[in-house]
This record gives sequence, C-alpha cells and structure tokens, in this order.
Amino acid sequence: MANPGRAGPARSALRGATVLAAVGALLLVGFPLVELFAAAVSQGPATVVAAFRGTGALQAIVTTLLTGTVVTVFSVVGGTAAALVTERGAQRGRSWLRAAVLLPLVIPPFVAALSWGQAYGTAGLSDDLLGLPLPGVYGLAGVVTVLTVHAVPLVYVVAAGALASRAEPDLERAARSSGASAATAFRTVTLPLLRPAIVAGAALAFITTVNAFGVPAVLGTPAGVATVTTRIYSDLVFAADPQAFVRVLVLASGLVVLTLSVVGVADVRDALGDGLTRTGAPLGGAVSGGPRWPGALLWGYALATSVLPLLALVLVGITQAVGLAPVPANWTLGHFRAAMSGLGGPALARSVLLATVAATTVLLLGGLLAALRHRRGGKPLATMATLTFAVPGSALAVAVLLAYGPWLRDTLALILIAYLAKFWALGHRPIAGAAGRQPPELAWAARVSGAGPATTVRTVTIPLLLPALAGAWLVVFLFGLHEVTMSSLLYGPGSETLAVVILNLRQLGDVPVTAALAVLLTGMVLLATALLAVASRTSRRLVSRRDRA
Amino acid sequence: MTVAACGQASTGSGSQPTSGGAGGDTVRLYTTVTQETVDAVVAAFAEAQPDTQVEVFRAPTGELNARIAAERREGGLQADVLWLTDPLSMQQFDAEGLLAAYAPAEVDAVPAEYRTDTFTGTRLLNLVIVHEAGLDPAPRDWPDLADPAYRDAVAIPDPSFAGSAFGALGYFAETDGGLDFYQSLADNGVVQVPSPGEVTSGVAEGRFMAGMTLDADARAAAEAGSPVELVVPESGAIAVYSPIAVTESAANTEGAEAFVDFSLTVPAQEAIAGTGWEPIRDDVEWENEPATQVSPDWPAIYDRQDELLEEYQAVIGG
Repeated sequence: MANPGRAGPARSALRGATVLAAVGALLLVGFPLVELFAAAVSQGPATVVAAFRGTGALQAIVTTLLTGTVVTVFSVVGGTAAALVTERGAQRGRSWLRAAVLLPLVIPPFVAALSWGQAYGTAGLSDDLLGLPLPGVYGLAGVVTVLTVHAVPLVYVVAAGALASRAEPDLERAARSSGASAATAFRTVTLPLLRPAIVAGAALAFITTVNAFGVPAVLGTPAGVATVTTRIYSDLVFAADPQAFVRVLVLASGLVVLTLSVVGVADVRDALGDGLTRTGAPLGGAVSGGPRWPGALLWGYALATSVLPLLALVLVGITQAVGLAPVPANWTLGHFRAAMSGLGGPALARSVLLATVAATTVLLLGGLLAALRHRRGGKPLATMATLTFAVPGSALAVAVLLAYGPWLRDTLALILIAYLAKFWALGHRPIAGAAGRQPPELAWAARVSGAGPATTVRTVTIPLLLPALAGAWLVVFLFGLHEVTMSSLLYGPGSETLAVVILNLRQLGDVPVTAALAVLLTGMVLLATALLAVASRTSRRLVSRRDRA
Repeated sequence: MTVAACGQASTGSGSQPTSGGAGGDTVRLYTTVTQETVDAVVAAFAEAQPDTQVEVFRAPTGELNARIAAERREGGLQADVLWLTDPLSMQQFDAEGLLAAYAPAEVDAVPAEYRTDTFTGTRLLNLVIVHEAGLDPAPRDWPDLADPAYRDAVAIPDPSFAGSAFGALGYFAETDGGLDFYQSLADNGVVQVPSPGEVTSGVAEGRFMAGMTLDADARAAAEAGSPVELVVPESGAIAVYSPIAVTESAANTEGAEAFVDFSLTVPAQEAIAGTGWEPIRDDVEWENEPATQVSPDWPAIYDRQDELLEEYQAVIGG
C-alpha cells in the first residue's frame, strides 16, 4: 500500500472523471472550434480571398497585431517597474499602494474606456475645467493607452508574485555587498530571476489585448479605427449581406491561429497558475531604503488613469442633462432610477446569474481536471482548457454560435457555454497549482488512519484548497459579470447581459443612463472584490491563530 | 371593470387564442422603435388583450437587419410582426417576400401616402436641425450645415445604423436627384455618428455645434435642460413614417394581426404621442406638429436602397 490513493473504487471514480472531463472539453471547446474551421474552409479559397479584399479586414488584423504588441511592451515595462516599486522600494502604506496598482483590474475595461472619454475627451472633464482635452482619446492612441492601463496590473501581479516568492532579496543584498552597483545587481540578479514571470505576464497582456472588444468599440469605432474583434462584431451584428458572414468566419479562424502561434501553452499556464489568483497571498521581502518618489509617482498614475476617469463618469451619471455643469444644483439620481427600470434591472440580474453559474461550474470543471493531473488522459485535457483561454472571445463566440446557435439561440445557455469554455482554465490552473503545493503525505496519513477516499477529500484536500477555490470563484465571477466580447455576439431577445445593454444604450446616445449603469456595474465589482479581500484576510487570520493554538 | 373592458376589446378584434400550435397566444415582435415607445404600446396592448403575450426584440435598424439575415440563414424568420423606423428598410423585406399582405382594421385612419398593401405607418419621425444654444449664426435650413462656420463640427446619424437617417438619405436622393447635399457636408468635415440620439448628446456636450437629429429626441434633451435648440428647417422637417407589418411566416398570424390592428387604435396612438412621437392619425392630439413638413415620394426610391447606401458610403465613408 505505497499509495492508498490508487485503490479500487478511487481508480474507477477517476476513470469516470476522465470520461466526464473529456466529454466536457469536447462539447465546450473541440466541437465549436472544429465547426468554425470547417465552416471557414468550406467557403473555398476564392471566397476567403474575396472576403478580405477592399473591406478593411487586413487593416483590422494589422491594427490588432500592432495594438497587441505595443500594449504588451508598455505593460511589461510599467507592470515590472510598479512591482519593483511596491515590493523592493521603501514605501509607506505598501498594501494600499498595491491596491491602487491593481485598481484597473476590477474596473471593467469598457467602463474604463467610457470614463476616459468623459474625463479626457473633447468636452470631457479636463476640457471643461482646464480647456485641455487629450488629443486622440478617441482613436488608436486612446485604445492603446486604456488597454495598457488595464494590462499593467496583469503583468504587475505576476511580477510582484515572483519578486515575493522566487527572487530572493538576499541574493540582491549579497550582490550589493560584494560590490555590485544597484544597476548591476538589478541587471544580473533581479531581472534574470524575474524573466519567467515577465514572459508569463507578457503572454497574459497579449491575450487580453487581442481579446479586447469593449475598449476598441468605445474609443476606436467612433474614430474609424477597427480591430479584428470590432470588425467581427460589426460584420456579424450589423451587416445583413452574406459576404460579411464569410468574413466573420475567416477573421475568427484567423484570430485563433494568430493568437495560438504567438502564445504557447506554457505561457498561459504560468500566468494563470501564479498570477491572477494569488493576489491575496502575502508578499514580502522588501529591501529597505531608497527614494520615496517612485511611490508618489504610482499614486499619481492611479489617480490619473483610474480615479479621475471614474469620477468623471459618476458626475455624468448624476448630472440632470447632458451639457449642464456637473455642480450640485444639477445633480439627480433620476438616471440611476431610469437605468434600473428599463432593460438595466433584468440585465443586471441575468449578468449576476450567469456569472454565478459560470463561476460555480468552472470550479467543478477545474477541480475535475486538477484531480486528473496525474492521469494519462488528464494532461492533454488540461492543455486544451488552458489554450482555450488564449483563444480570443470573439472567435470562441462565433464558434459556439455555429455549433449551438441552431438549438440555443437567444438563450443564456448559449452565452454560458462560451463562458465555461473561455474561463475553464481560470478555475483549473489555480486549483491544480494549489493541489500541487499540497503535501501528499497529509492525504496518505488520512487514508492510513482509516479514512475512505471521499472522507479524505472532504476533510483534508478541500479545506486546504479553500483559499484557492474562493479566489478562482471570484475571478471567474468578476470576469463573467462584466464580460462583453462574447455576450455582445451571442445575446438575443431576453438574454441581454448588463454590459451589452450598456454598450447598446451608448450607441443610442443616452449618455447619462449609460454612465449610471456603468457606475452601478463597477460599484458591484468593487464591492465583491472588497468583500473577498476582507474574507480572505479574516480566514488567513483564523488559520494562523489555529496554527498557533 | 377592467375585466369587462378587456373582454370587449378582445372580442372586438377577434383574437381569442384558438390555435393550439407553437406560438399559441404569444406574438413575437421585432422592432427598431424606441424602447420607451414599444414598452408603452405593448403595455396598452396587454391591458386591452391580456391573453396575448408580446415578446419583444428591440435593436437598431442595422442590427435588426443582420439578425433577420442570420435567422433566414438558419431556417427562417422567427418574428410574427415587424415594426420598423422607415419605409425603405421595410420595403426591402417586402421585396424579398417576407411580409404578408394585410389591411389593419382602422387602416382608413392612415393617410394613403403612409401605407402599402403589406405595411402601414404608425407614427411620423421628423428629422430636424439641432444646434448649441446661443449659436450665432444659427443654421436655418439643411444647406446651412455646410457653412464653413461649422467646419468639422456638424454631426449626422449613420443610415446603415439608424432607419430614420436612411429615410433622410432617401429624401435628399429623391428630391435633389443625387447626393450633392451629403457631398457638401463631407467637404465641410461632417462627422458621422451611429444614432440621432448621439447627434443630440454630442451637441449638448459641446462636441458638435449642430447636426441632424429627430425632433422628439432634441425636444426631450432641451426639456431636460441640455443647452440645445431645435430648428425646423425652412424647407420643412423631413417626415419619415414608421411602418408595421405582419410577416408571411408568422407562427401566430391571428395574434400578429391583432397587434398590428391595435397599433392604429386611439389608445396605441396616444401611447405613441405620449412618448414624444407624432401619431399617424390626425384625430389624436399632437401639439408639436412642425410648421412645415416634407416627405419624399417613397415608391420612387424603392428597390434602390443598396445602391443609395453604396453611393452614400462613397461620399461619407463607411
């Protein structure tokens, strides 16, 4: 009995789990993507070539690649620098500073885009107050800037995590005391140790940027800047001619090939494993001393990129009518009432429902894959789920629409399928990572002491995994709550999500109600995050108290 | 009392649910009409005929067109009733055989130029000029929008997105015999935005000095306190009628006809007027009638829609 985990009933349970996971992967990922490529290829090469000619499709691909590359470079530099400041510098209020850097992560990207337009666009807050609009907020420059602001914390999380857990500050101190200058120590010690984290962060930034729809739709489309995602949207949602549909198929397949040729499975695995979901983990190892100004710079950055834009959006949402000065005499809550009484209320309920069901199901699916991580069939399935996270949402949504549209059109189930496929890895990676760090001796001890496999999982494995499970649930819940790339392609009568309602209202020119709904959505996301932060801190405190006892 | 009134109304239009088939007493309505207006008419219909449920899908014209195209690709149009913003979009569906010939019960209350054998006007949308409050000189007619004084600061709605803008395009193409008006706007740096609503809010924000929009929209903004003024062009507000039709493939023809009938009744027309739009019936009170109103000869531009949009996009840009 060297390994009690492989006893008879457990083995048959694992075999059942393998079959279940394989069926899940096939239905969620395999079948839709095969349908997509089959449909694209079935058009024949001539039609495919024609679909590109004179329609700006090529231009959209170039713009997407350009945006993806530039944002990745900027956010790697910015995110790594921010991580060095908070983790290596001597900053007062370090945990608040970390929260400030992470803030853009919990602001839905399209809300950030709306708020930037209101803060820095023509006739925006900065224009009204100082006569200074930022040129190019609507256009490629604005798209790149706002996407960079959103991607910086993604790189930051991975880099800061690595600085805390892998890059030993002792090594840097050793280098310094052996006579290396600060720059040399950074170049020869810190950076090489950070390299894997930076590569993972870059992959995450690139995937997120190529996947982005809300930001280019809000800031790019009005200026005539199209990315592949906005192009797919306008061709699928706004064009009635058959040629446009062919273009959708071709662009969607192209987008899949493009992303998967840039991003490898290892990159995604690293990014998701040690990244997003370990934000709550205690970070440490700061080198004391050094200047204070980098911290001040970070505070200024957070203020200018997140706080002020959100403030501008709130002001628009509470001001009686468009064009009135945002002073207390003109304030009203009427737009919030209007927002909830129209399509907003039901859409909000739908989004919460979708996000809850998606997060819970993703945990089950992710746990299933994590349980299979030592099985023969488990690896390829895990690879498949991980790679699907890199597939841009637009392409995934078109694939799901082709595969399940005929049966599930206009239902929330259609959107849910897309969410599960996309977010599976968000559940799987952190659970697998945490399970991998768990000493197997604990489970063996339980089995040797006479506990059955089910009892062992219930009393040993799951309690130890609880923080990872909670973190993964929250991340999927937040992603699902403000998801717009896929739901904007899949919604129908009665299945509009909140983000879809907000974007549609905006196109109709209802500025204040759009702002009110966007503020409500952001408020909910912030609240959920804050609750989780408090809960995880409390549970950590309880755990450490129990350990001491 | 309510029950008695409802009973009367439903026996009057003869729409007792008799068929047991799919759809039954549910009517599926696809529309581009403003949400507030659809909600008001559907609520009035629910009061008159509580047995018939109306399932609404509302989207802008371009989006609805794409949806209908997708449904036809996948096996057939799912809607029982189409209620659109402009006759040009509706006529395209008619030409493709998607509409059933139907004369609603109170069709005689609708002027003959606002209906065909298959679709009937329900309301009028008036395209007017909106400009910043206090703008000097203020535009007085459409050609003024090409004045260099407003260079790069005039906005127009996109005809491939908004049906009313498509109607306006039809008007200028038919009365001018070409797209000279749009060419002059393009030469003056006109900005195209998706919807008339965005024209109005853009002018209110100060992003644009003036633009083309809908009267109901500009009036609502001015009443809410936005710094905008509405101008009925000297040549007249362009009246676009918003047609409704029963589809050829309707699963619930009876229910569809009942809803179309209802849209022309006085209560429905009052609901339409109550949400800011000009009712199609003259016998329903409406205080915001523009001083002059013009309308193109719609049949003269039927079947030229694709060509018109292509020419327009060549002038303004996709």
